[in-house]
Amino acid sequence: MNYNTEQTDKTTTVELTGRFTFGDHSNFRKLIEEMRAHQSETHVLDVAGIEFIDSAGLGMLLLARDEGEKARATVILRGAQGQVKRMLEVARFDTLFKLED
Amino acid sequence: MESDIDDHSPLTVAVPQSLSSDDVESLLTGANIWDRSDPIPFEHVIGNSPEDLSNSAHFSCCLLPSDPGREWLGSLIRLNSDNFIECFDGMDLGDLCPIIGSDPKSKHHLLVCLSTRSAYHLPVARKFVTALRHRGLIKEATAPAVEMAVQEAFANSLIHGNLALTTSGRLSMDRFNELGDETKKRLASTTYGDRAIVLTAKKRKNGHIVISINDQGAGFTPRKETDETTMPGQESTFGRGLPLIKSLCHSVTFARGGRTIKLTFDQIESDVLSADPAFIREFDAQGSIDAALRTPQNATILIADDTMLSREIIASYLRSDGFTNLVFAKDGEDALAQAKAHNPDLIILDIIMPKLDGYEVCKALRADPQFAETPIIAQTALEENEGRTRIFDDGATDLILKPLNKAELIARTKIHLENRLLVKQLRAYRERTQSELDLARDMQENLNPAPEQYRGTGFDYGMRISATFQMSSELGGDMWGLVPIDEQRLGVYIVDFAGHGLGAALNTFRLHSLIWSDQIRDPDPGAYLSNLNRHLKGLLPIGQYATMLYGIIDRNKATFSYASAACTSPVLGDSTTGAARYLDGSGVPLGVIRDARYETREVPFDQNSFLLLYSDALIETTLDDGQFLSEEKLLSMVHETVMESSSDVDLAAQIADQFMDRAPVQLSDDFTVVSLQSANGADGFTACDEPQ
Repeated sequence: MNYNTEQTDKTTTVELTGRFTFGDHSNFRKLIEEMRAHQSETHVLDVAGIEFIDSAGLGMLLLARDEGEKARATVILRGAQGQVKRMLEVARFDTLFKLED
Repeated sequence: MESDIDDHSPLTVAVPQSLSSDDVESLLTGANIWDRSDPIPFEHVIGNSPEDLSNSAHFSCCLLPSDPGREWLGSLIRLNSDNFIECFDGMDLGDLCPIIGSDPKSKHHLLVCLSTRSAYHLPVARKFVTALRHRGLIKEATAPAVEMAVQEAFANSLIHGNLALTTSGRLSMDRFNELGDETKKRLASTTYGDRAIVLTAKKRKNGHIVISINDQGAGFTPRKETDETTMPGQESTFGRGLPLIKSLCHSVTFARGGRTIKLTFDQIESDVLSADPAFIREFDAQGSIDAALRTPQNATILIADDTMLSREIIASYLRSDGFTNLVFAKDGEDALAQAKAHNPDLIILDIIMPKLDGYEVCKALRADPQFAETPIIAQTALEENEGRTRIFDDGATDLILKPLNKAELIARTKIHLENRLLVKQLRAYRERTQSELDLARDMQENLNPAPEQYRGTGFDYGMRISATFQMSSELGGDMWGLVPIDEQRLGVYIVDFAGHGLGAALNTFRLHSLIWSDQIRDPDPGAYLSNLNRHLKGLLPIGQYATMLYGIIDRNKATFSYASAACTSPVLGDSTTGAARYLDGSGVPLGVIRDARYETREVPFDQNSFLLLYSDALIETTLDDGQFLSEEKLLSMVHETVMESSSDVDLAAQIADQFMDRAPVQLSDDFTVVSLQSANGADGFTACDEPQ
């Protein structure tokens, strides 16, 4: 998994690309640290560029949400497609996240 | 392994060049995974990368170097072998040996054995599933579910099994970070990191595919799941993923005390013809036996009727018209037995019979592939409509009413036998055409340079050249090649004729002979294409055209000069930064206008440069996300591939491997990717050994 962050106003947008699986520990850790530093009110995780996610990847998304909550920020998942969309549905992530197309 | 072949014949093993012969020897002879009593002779075929190894030869086993990387993982698709085993230090396969050296009865169709350390960083599940697709073991439609299940099961075996990490309960960020550090530590340790993980796949006769994932951890007792279909949400974020796996599979079972997980997938849509080679063989054998059937009168006819008088009447009618190969059955069961024994060309079947009636006989015959197309004429005194339509539903070809009319019986018999004969001839014709097309494909494939040729040529010019070519299901129109000009200058071309099929293939032959004739000797790419176009225009029928790029890499001047006839835009990049950009590929296609002019464009090409050429199949094939590979995505794919593996990589092969993971197995157009990379002295080319 690779990512790019962009901060505008009070929103941080993170574009994630590639495969997001159990091996992406350290990249994800860096990402969380960057998000913490931004102190935005809204964090948008743009997952449109993710080709494949496994349950560990889902777990990491939940951690991002927890981190957001701690900082009183809203975390939005945007643009899920294909396999990612299917996984989010199976895991009922619509109840845990704000999902956007 | 391979115990079905003669014990004395050598096993051919693909061996990466980076492995020492001692390591290879100790793995092949010491690991006790080959179930043969005698010492086994091995024949090694050595390659620097999977691209160097023949993709037509069969290997009993393909060894992977320690930490094989994506490059060697690609051999799962590139090489013809069922066994891929990483050669790593400290390997103790222990009780995995029986799984690897399987007994002939339960022989797997694909096996991959990796160390935990290597497997952790590789997209193993994805490549494994791509390999299953390419071997026809799973269907395109089931692949996504299989991949998700294999990914989860594989991650579990790796993380909870081999690395013995516990991740249950709610995960906090601190705990997550601890876990990440612990993972690194364990991967580096010999206790955990050296453990092996084995994936196998086997297709059962019923079409089910069974995938097993085997680890060397402590094992576990699977909990009784109360709800098998929902995913745990908040809780157990890194959980075993078992409910998810169960929701994707037909069944999940455990063995070896929880250290083996077996996933079974059923493949619903049945596709008898392509799925069952045994059936095809039987069918072919049947065809050759019946080759003697030249005239209808030689046909074997089975007459099934419970009254002797009826049988005699039918026989006498048929004999009077020259049919003498007659076989008789006195009831339904007998009819089936006689059909099996004599394989008749036509069956005359009474509907009302003891034991099995005509309806049941019809159904049973049609269920057997051997009799799927045998004409069956049902004869009956029944005059109700219901009985008549029912016998057609059950598979009868025709119906004739009792009392029999001699002329009608003979006419119908002849018509059905002639039809059968025509179908057979048509099939034979189609088979011949197919074998000729196969020959044409081989010839066309041979227009492209073979790996040992382009590797050697690249070496001469201080370049690493990689190429992947895959033909579409039909004949296609792609072609590429290298033209050494002098010591410093190497020419390269890539061609795509419009359309595919025989016409496009013939045109590639035309163009190939033009390129290699002495008629066109222009040193300047633009002039070269202009001249080639003039010649080609004279040869091509109106409406046929080609796209082409011809360029020259000049090592002395450190330039790449090229001209393009509507070719896909080449990618030029830098191996040290991974930065890449598109070059201008515009120009009139070849064969459209006689006096087309082509501009020569020149760009710097130094010791860090690489060039990627490709046919439009790369960017015009619908991938698993329902989209084409966009220009932007191709550039980032190139960037990531170069950055991940430095300059020491077969770029075209890597791009092709990633494409194959996401594209359908059967491409609708030819697929060509070629890369030419400067092998900069420091870490690139000198590290490679001389080509064979």
